[in-house]
Amino acid sequence: MSATLAPAMPASRRILNGARIHAANPVATLVTPWLITLAIFGMNLAIWWIVTSVADEGSLEPDAFQYNGGAAWIVFYMMVAATIAMNQTFRFAVGLSATRRDYYLGTVLFFLAMAVLYSLGMTLLAAIERATDGWGVGGRFFSPFFLLEVPLWQVALAYAAAITFMAMLGAAVASVYVRWGSTGMLLFFGALGVVLIGAIYLVTRADAWGAVGRFFEGSSLVELSGWAVALAGVFALVGHLLLRRASIRS
Amino acid sequence: MTAIIEAERLSRTYGAVCAVDDVSFAVEEGSVCGLLGRNGAGKTTLLQLVTGQEFASAGEIRVFGERPLENAAVLGRTCLVKESQTYPDTFKGGHVLRAASWAYADWDEPYARRLVREFGVPLDRRMKKLSRGQRSAIGVIVGLASRAPLTLFDEPYAGLDAVARQLFYDLLLDDYAKNPRTVVMSTHLIDEASRLLDRVVVIDSGRVVIDAEAEDLRGSAVSVVGRASQVDAFVEGRSVLRRDWVGGIASATVDGISEADRAEALAAGLELAPVSLQELVVSRTRGDQAQEVSA
Repeated sequence: MSATLAPAMPASRRILNGARIHAANPVATLVTPWLITLAIFGMNLAIWWIVTSVADEGSLEPDAFQYNGGAAWIVFYMMVAATIAMNQTFRFAVGLSATRRDYYLGTVLFFLAMAVLYSLGMTLLAAIERATDGWGVGGRFFSPFFLLEVPLWQVALAYAAAITFMAMLGAAVASVYVRWGSTGMLLFFGALGVVLIGAIYLVTRADAWGAVGRFFEGSSLVELSGWAVALAGVFALVGHLLLRRASIRS
Repeated sequence: MTAIIEAERLSRTYGAVCAVDDVSFAVEEGSVCGLLGRNGAGKTTLLQLVTGQEFASAGEIRVFGERPLENAAVLGRTCLVKESQTYPDTFKGGHVLRAASWAYADWDEPYARRLVREFGVPLDRRMKKLSRGQRSAIGVIVGLASRAPLTLFDEPYAGLDAVARQLFYDLLLDDYAKNPRTVVMSTHLIDEASRLLDRVVVIDSGRVVIDAEAEDLRGSAVSVVGRASQVDAFVEGRSVLRRDWVGGIASATVDGISEADRAEALAAGLELAPVSLQELVVSRTRGDQAQEVSA
């Protein structure tokens, strides 16, 4: 047989196609998350102002507005966004003659680009937040408690790593769904629950919670980011292995 | 002529169900092949096997001489338009055409724009909100404008009205004459599409029951009409696809007819009528072969 059939287009363009299919309509992946983040931030800001306006002078603790988890929303939402993006486009992309491999490579690259983009945006907002002394009221939304003191490049790294972790987890979850449907999802989360409970049991049995705590306390933000990226790599690989054999159910 | 698609003992099973069952066939370069069969006969699964969207349980499939599965060289030359295609919820017609223009190396944008005008489909409305016919039209536009050397249409015009269907046939013939390519089309509307087809593959319950040149097929069967006793005498020992009778008059659709057979039938005082492709396919793909027509 002839193994000489040349690709109809270069690999770079095929992988680019896998990425830009997510941006053909950029609302879900690139617009909505920012709008919701800004809305959450706006509500926090309003509450800070209300509290500041009614509080007596000097009665607020200086760190009153520094323990805020609002920014975590965007990190967790990236898992949802990744899952939705893949579930929405996989059948469509394969329907347009993409190989699963090219589609998945492009998709992973798109998610990485998203992580960089969102990280830069959040870091920029964190920089403004610091420069304006917390929007004039000492609030910390974009670099709250554990990001309070770290240099901006570490803020950027932490966001990029956390979002990459979540997006690749989303890619793996989406691959389970695309391949095995809702039954697969139920089994997957069931199995995940068993594994987590088993892990908790083992750590408790070994009386090792102290060691777990020391690992997180003893590791720098940069080290933790490295772990997150390494795990993200594992998730991405799992997603690839699952998607490779996913058929197009209609 | 070289074979663009070659299937050899191809099967796809889902549990106990055999959607494609030991199928062998070939499609020649530059031909228009009709893939005919009833609902659930396995047409879509077969086309998905050809385009690497489904995984074969057994057998071999070669497209452009290679296995299509995860093969960018093969898939880049292949476009499957299927009625069951799903689209991302937020996609409008324009997004679909944009994504298709990226996906196919030979995409013809001016042609695509012309087709959009001819079919009159809105591009600024979500795919979900379009009527079935409008969705089908978008699929047809993708298939034609892809200029893929192998283009496969799976029930391309479900929901299209008669005018739009005629437009599709005309466009396909016109474009095919100017830019020869290989086309495989599955359809229910056999007679309507039959003038397009060079070759006909009929599958029933996952098996190939007819694989022939359309011309040969049209001449291969004939309907004989006459007195029941004479019809019975004539069909004795022949392959009867279908038999109807009203009172003493009977008609029978007989397969594998030669010129000598025709002469014999005429000599016996029987009338001969041509059998349409659709009648032939219906006859060969239904279980019961004899029925009385209630008068």
